[in-house]
Amino acid sequence: MKNVLLEAVLVGAAGLALAFASNALSPRGLKLTRNYSPGNALAAAAASRSAADPSGSEAKILEDQLRAEGLQLADANQAAKLFADPKRGQDLVIFVDARDDDHYQAGHIPGAYQLDHYHPERYLATVMPACQVAQTIVVYCKGGSCEDSEQTALFLRDSAVPKHKLFVYTGGFDEWSSSHQPIELGERNSGQIPAGTAPASAPGSTR
Amino acid sequence: MNSATEAPPAAKPALARPWLDYGGVLTRWILGAIFVYMGLTKALHPEMFLKLLRQYDLTNSSLMLNSIAAGLPWFEVFCGLLLLAGIAVRGSAMLLLLMLVPFTFVVLKRALAVADIQHIALCAVRFDCGCGNGEVLICRKLVENALLILLSCWLVAGFGRRFAARFRLRLR
Repeated sequence: MKNVLLEAVLVGAAGLALAFASNALSPRGLKLTRNYSPGNALAAAAASRSAADPSGSEAKILEDQLRAEGLQLADANQAAKLFADPKRGQDLVIFVDARDDDHYQAGHIPGAYQLDHYHPERYLATVMPACQVAQTIVVYCKGGSCEDSEQTALFLRDSAVPKHKLFVYTGGFDEWSSSHQPIELGERNSGQIPAGTAPASAPGSTR
Repeated sequence: MNSATEAPPAAKPALARPWLDYGGVLTRWILGAIFVYMGLTKALHPEMFLKLLRQYDLTNSSLMLNSIAAGLPWFEVFCGLLLLAGIAVRGSAMLLLLMLVPFTFVVLKRALAVADIQHIALCAVRFDCGCGNGEVLICRKLVENALLILLSCWLVAGFGRRFAARFRLRLR
């Protein structure tokens, strides 16, 4: 048994070294020292507060959490109004999709920039200039208990984007798509609209 | 000394019952394949695994969580490959036990908490446990894990020597 334990220690040490080397070499690897969820502590506090409230849903917990972090919320109506705002055509109102590549490519709010905060280096060159110009930035992810929109908004806030510009659309893409709002497939401004959904109307229209 | 006349090492009881050892070989390959697959699934999307890990409230240290999310998937792949090749089999199986047992407990703990909050039976609870299979019924996952633990014990006991490249390391 002693030999088995010794063997396990050796295999474990070699395995750990190789595992962290693989992570360092992988293009999808994580940066060990980065805090990927800066809102966690407040999330826990908000969750514990809401736990005392039996009617508190996960979405309610997230809303509490966002308010505690000074982030502004956008509901479905506000998101739709901002989408129809003429300023969106001048990039003064922008949408930022906080989901990963697969989800973004499968469908996003038309014209939305992508910023997956786990790999920001891929998107910053495009997103940051737009965020500097924009007056209103609506960040969304899947919706429900998804925290990526919050984490991305916090990432932008910490990257010198004034927080008064930042809105988190908590309903997210699930709510947007289920309410038959326009969707765009593939790349940003690809113009690809999935069959059976409403085409993206021009900013400023009453739709 | 004539090596042909040497008595077989005492630590090879498995070879006395070939069918037990063939079962061990099959176990080794099945466990190895499962861990390589599960590990790669997570290693290719470590950020998803990190999100899932956060739900367990294991620690508040982002460094620790990042290390687990970044290292564990590749570590599983490594152990799985060793089992497939038949290298350091008992030590690798021991490491699988060290991963499986605590993980099964934290999944059970979270499942009990979810069942309590949602007022549903334990076996109706389903969530993505971070095992690499997406959202699953937790009762089923617990049974699967119990089976994997038993299979790992089988290998720790010394079965699965046939077709092994180097069943045990020379530790002198």
